[in-house]
Formats: sequence, structure tokens, C-alpha cells
Amino acid sequence: MTQSTLHNIRFKGLTTCVPERTLSNIEDCPVEQRSERERLVRNIGIETRRVCLEGVVFSDLAQEAGEKLIAGLGWDKSSIDVLLVVTQSPDYPIPATAIILQDKLGLSHGTVAFDINLGCSGYAYGLFVLGSMLSAHGLKRGIMLVGDKSSNPLSLDNGLLSLFGDAATATALEFEENAPPMYFNMGSDGSGHRAIIIEAGGQRVPIQPHHLERLPGADGISRKGTDVILDGPSILNFSIREVPASISGLVEYSPFSLEDIDYFVLHQANRMINETIRKKLGLAPERVPLSLKEFGNTSSASIPVTMTTKLLQELGAGRKRLLLSGFGVGLSWASCILEIEDAYLPALIEI
Amino acid sequence: MSTINTFIEKFNEAVDFQEPVEVTADTKLQDLPEWDSLAALGVIVMCDMEYKKTITGNDLAGCNVIADIYKLVS
Repeated sequence: MTQSTLHNIRFKGLTTCVPERTLSNIEDCPVEQRSERERLVRNIGIETRRVCLEGVVFSDLAQEAGEKLIAGLGWDKSSIDVLLVVTQSPDYPIPATAIILQDKLGLSHGTVAFDINLGCSGYAYGLFVLGSMLSAHGLKRGIMLVGDKSSNPLSLDNGLLSLFGDAATATALEFEENAPPMYFNMGSDGSGHRAIIIEAGGQRVPIQPHHLERLPGADGISRKGTDVILDGPSILNFSIREVPASISGLVEYSPFSLEDIDYFVLHQANRMINETIRKKLGLAPERVPLSLKEFGNTSSASIPVTMTTKLLQELGAGRKRLLLSGFGVGLSWASCILEIEDAYLPALIEI
Repeated sequence: MSTINTFIEKFNEAVDFQEPVEVTADTKLQDLPEWDSLAALGVIVMCDMEYKKTITGNDLAGCNVIADIYKLVS
């Protein structure tokens, strides 16, 4: 377990952008599947999801979130030193989406821009990477755009179809002497890399014509080689083992106790996983907000989506100490304790 | 027998079937119409929280009847 403290980094603002299009897991499914869906919804806790219209991609949402953030903070675009994009939904296999967005957002050619390929654990990792760069002195302002377009409306996998929503978020960090420290705890377990995987499309398994056909898998569900496959039991075992340990370890490493944390914002995996983690930590539901019901699992965006949609008032009312914890694809996990005060936190953006 | 009966009660709650069915120690998992990946997740959580035992997907795949799962946690 790797732990680290970042000094002199201020959380300046957060914007969250989702597609306006809302799909219901129960109403927008064939009548004959309704009963099965009701049971699924009861257990995963996801009633509706935001889904991009055909042709809209992650970077379109991210651009919107980024523009609103920069304008809201009143930052001169030439003052932004770093643009980090954390996504697994790039515009192209190459080049990196961050570089395309440097141009679209009108940032200077002096911008340090690159992508990080992480999913559910990505938000805290992004804070660590961007915060580390800024705390090294020399660079002052950074923006990170975090999220995914994970929905796949044509999938025949009922579980997958009901799980993922699309979202992009923009977060601003700034170097500020004596800002409250941020504490991190991070880990990786590549032995579980098959638990969440798209098999075809990289160099290990180049795309062949048969990868574009839906073929029945061992579980009877037909998928393309380019679709995501989830190994539910492995993800569940990993999450309920590693996440409570990561959170407890981080709290122990920090100068705080569990009681000193105002809110625990966890990656929104599904209700079963999130509730099990909450119960293992012995936390009251009011301290562990959920955005699953309305937005589903929004991958790396799920922590900021939850902050924007469930904690906006609280975060606007004086200093708050949050513990964020992301976990999933990789397998990878990262938790962070940070304080937020007087940040720019506008309401949800819908496009 | 009270302990396996308690386990069966917890099992029924965990799998959350839409159409409740009679379950005994000898019921074959494959004979339960709604035994699926969601039910498996519910059982894994239940075993972890109630019996402090980690059950994997492979463990469950090796179970034929309900009593086989009970053996894993007892």
C-alpha cells in the first residue's frame, strides 16, 4: 500500500457535465424483461442513467465542463500550465485526447497535456498526479478532465446495459502555500486485469472481422470482441476486500480519525458493493452519499458526479473534509483525503 | 439443523428472487430458475458479511446444491 502527502495544493473548483438524455432501466426496456429488470434495479440501485446521443463522445462533454470551469474561475487561459485527461474513452487510439482538448479549449502551446488510462480509480489518481506536478514548484495551475462514455445502448448484456452512465468532469487545482495537505493511498493488482476487460482492439488481440460479430460467451450472453466483459464476482470480492482496507489505512496514515471526515465519496460501482463497503466501515448512510440511483456507474467521473449532485450545498457552506475512494478496472484503487473550502462548484451541466 | 435453516433463510434473502421458490439443503442451484450472476453476487456478499468468509465465483461454480455453499462457510 503506497501512501503519500501533498502540500500546498488548493482544490479550486469542479464542474460536472452529463448528457440531457435520460434512460430508465425499467421503463425503457421491453415489457417481457420488466420483472427481471425490477430485481436488477433493486439490487444495483440504478434507476436512470444519462446516455450520450449517437455521435457525442466523452471529450465533447469534457470540453463543455472544462470551458465552464475556466470561465467560472475567471482564469486567464494562458495561466493554465497543465491539462490532464483521465479517461478510457479517448477520441482516437492515438494521439492523446488531452492534446486535442488543449487546442479546443484554447489553451497555450506551453500547456503540459497528456492522458491517464484509468477508469473507476482514476479521480484520486488524477488528483495525485496533477497535485504532485503542481507541488513540485514552477507550475501553478492545472485542470483535469475526468470521465468516460461507458454506455453501450446496443449491448445484449442486461447487467452491463443497466449499469453505466456517461459523464465528464473538470477539476481545477492551484499551487497555494499553506493549503491544507492532501493524503493519498494507492494500489494496483494486475493479476485481476481480466475482471474488467475489452478483449480486442489493442496489440495483444488485434481486431479481426469476427470481433465485430456478437458471439455467445461461456455465460450465454452474446458480445462483440470490442465490448466490455465484467466478471462480477471477482470485482465484488476485490472491492469489499481492498476498499475498506485502503480507506482504513489512509485514515490511519493521516492525522485524522474516521469521525473527522465529513463525507466519504466512493466510486459508484453498484448499490450492493457500495453498501457492503459502507457497512464494513461502520458509517452512517448520511455520510456516504450515492448518486447511483439517478446516474448509474459513471466510471472515473462517479466521485465528482456525486459531489456535484449530492453535496453541492454542503460543500458551499464552509470547510469540509472529504475522503474519496475509487476502485475497479485494472484492478486499481486510490483513496484521498482533502479539504474543500470556497471552491467554485456550480450546478450540474446538461447538454 | 437450525444452522443450515438459518443459512437458507439468509440465502433466500440474498438471492432476492422475483418468484420465491422452496429451497432446501438438497435443492440444486441449477434447478432454481432465477439462479444467475446477480444471485451469486448476493450470496457472496451474504457469506462475507454474515459468516466472514470470502467465497469466489469459482467456489460457487463448484457448488451443486445449497448444502455445498453452506459447507464453504461452516
